[in-house]
Amino acid sequence: MNATYKRFVAILGATFWLSTIFQWPSAAQTARGADIAVVVHPDTPVDDLSLAEVRKVLLGERQYWNSKLPVVLLIRAPVARERDVVLRVIYQMTETQFKQFWVAKIFRAEAATPPKIVYSNDMQYELVAAMPGAIAFVDARNVRPGLKVLRVDGHLPGDRDYPLR
Amino acid sequence: MNRQLLVILLSFLAAGSAWGRSSPADDQAEQVKALLERVERLEQRVAELEAKQGASATPLLTAAEKTTAQKSEPQGATASTAQAHDHMPQEQAVAQQAEVHYPSLQVRGFADMDFSATDEPRTTSGFNLGQLDLHLASPLSRKISYFGEMTFNAHPNGYTVEVERSIIRYDYNDYFKLSFGRYHTPIGYWNTAFHHGAWLETTIDRPEIVKVGGTFIPVHFVGFLAEGNIPSGGAGLSYSFGVGNGRGEIISRPGDAGDFNNNRAWVANVFARPVKLYGLQFGASVYRDKITVVNAAMIKTDYREWITSAHVVWTKGAPEFLAEIANVNHRQVLTNRTSNSQGFYTQLGYRLPWFENTLKPYYRFEYIHTPRGEAVFSDLDLVESIVGLRYDISSYAAFKSEYRHANRNVLQTPSFNGIVNGLFLQTSFTF
Repeated sequence: MNATYKRFVAILGATFWLSTIFQWPSAAQTARGADIAVVVHPDTPVDDLSLAEVRKVLLGERQYWNSKLPVVLLIRAPVARERDVVLRVIYQMTETQFKQFWVAKIFRAEAATPPKIVYSNDMQYELVAAMPGAIAFVDARNVRPGLKVLRVDGHLPGDRDYPLR
Repeated sequence: MNRQLLVILLSFLAAGSAWGRSSPADDQAEQVKALLERVERLEQRVAELEAKQGASATPLLTAAEKTTAQKSEPQGATASTAQAHDHMPQEQAVAQQAEVHYPSLQVRGFADMDFSATDEPRTTSGFNLGQLDLHLASPLSRKISYFGEMTFNAHPNGYTVEVERSIIRYDYNDYFKLSFGRYHTPIGYWNTAFHHGAWLETTIDRPEIVKVGGTFIPVHFVGFLAEGNIPSGGAGLSYSFGVGNGRGEIISRPGDAGDFNNNRAWVANVFARPVKLYGLQFGASVYRDKITVVNAAMIKTDYREWITSAHVVWTKGAPEFLAEIANVNHRQVLTNRTSNSQGFYTQLGYRLPWFENTLKPYYRFEYIHTPRGEAVFSDLDLVESIVGLRYDISSYAAFKSEYRHANRNVLQTPSFNGIVNGLFLQTSFTF
């Protein structure tokens, strides 16, 4: 058992060594651009979320705004910048990992449906306006009136410390 | 000489085509990105024009002569019809996305094909068809969902079909979800994280303590389960609690058709996903049951079973770390004689940053110990190391290769020392 214990400690040590040594910044991690606003249907009972709470929503760990209002996730189709930012900052996943994450999530019976995919900003605005509980991520320069823009970690898009960019 | 030249030429052509293979994908991505940007610019332009048109429409109409307005009406109608036609696909897409149908069945399949070769006496090497696994998910209403999982398993005399999971769940909110059916027992991590989809797990097989058809922990459970988040701020606590039939007459199976010994089992599981350490999960589980073992002489013996388990996992992939430990306590009801068996595994994987993150080498160490006095389990002792490499061929398919070195004390005979070495290959995918 002593040798077994040593092996366990060695594996644990190797894990932390690998996690600290290999921090490879990807091209996406270095890219910077306009802020991405978190917008919701105006009736959604939230105004301010921490980045961790936004992550919980996107990971499907928070599925209800309240017991009567389920969260409806809207995510832009691949290659859109909004999606790149959401995957890089919030999910911290590659495109492949993101796809695999949702296959696994539904397979584990932790969610019944994946996020809805939207193909343009117009479509995104119309869906958020039409669907109570909807949450979407839009380029802050294109935010239109009629939707609620959430503060993230107490900051609005354009603030110096706004985390989604 | 000519033949050599031809070979060199062909080699260059092959190399050239292989080199060129990656660039069209990059070009395509760039083109799609440029097109999307253009669509967005056009959308913005349309919005501006619509805003201008809206502002100028009323003055135009008021300034115009009635007759002119009448004359221009058909033209205006045509223009608005054309505009409506332009908006149709977008409106249709929005309507389609916004519309929710119940029930709305989604089917996904998992399958794997395997090759194995070991030096274990009286075994053969060769290919085998793994499990064909169909997963069904269907929201029945805004708060009620159905989940099912069926597997088709190859056997020497044909195939068997098994209902692995069949669950109907009512979601009250994030803190309370109640379901009924057949589950994978929420003990530890692996059993509820990967189910039967080999593609989902890094390795080729499950660890021995949660092996499908194994006995160390009850893999399946028939009954009800309450689960949800626990309001706990940054600790990110969640729970599940269930009551069910427990182990069946064959202890590797649950009581699908009824409770064999008329004694309900219960299970409780609490785990944390700390907000500040995204990727980390740790937790503990307790399982309580009464098992009735029938021996060859058809004599029934009752045992009380306590399973305690703990796990810690880091699932970000670079690195991936999984560790799980379980202790199974059996107490014979009649004599009070007890035994404790332990099993654990630790697995470390690392998704390499090269080749588009497709390669993941891994290592797993497994250990199971059952004491001499253990009366419920037999032939479980194991010390095993696994070294392997997973290669993700695409987003939905993987190729895995493994070398295993196992010491199964229970196999020890005068002619065999119980040590088994093996090579295992697998291609697994989802469709």
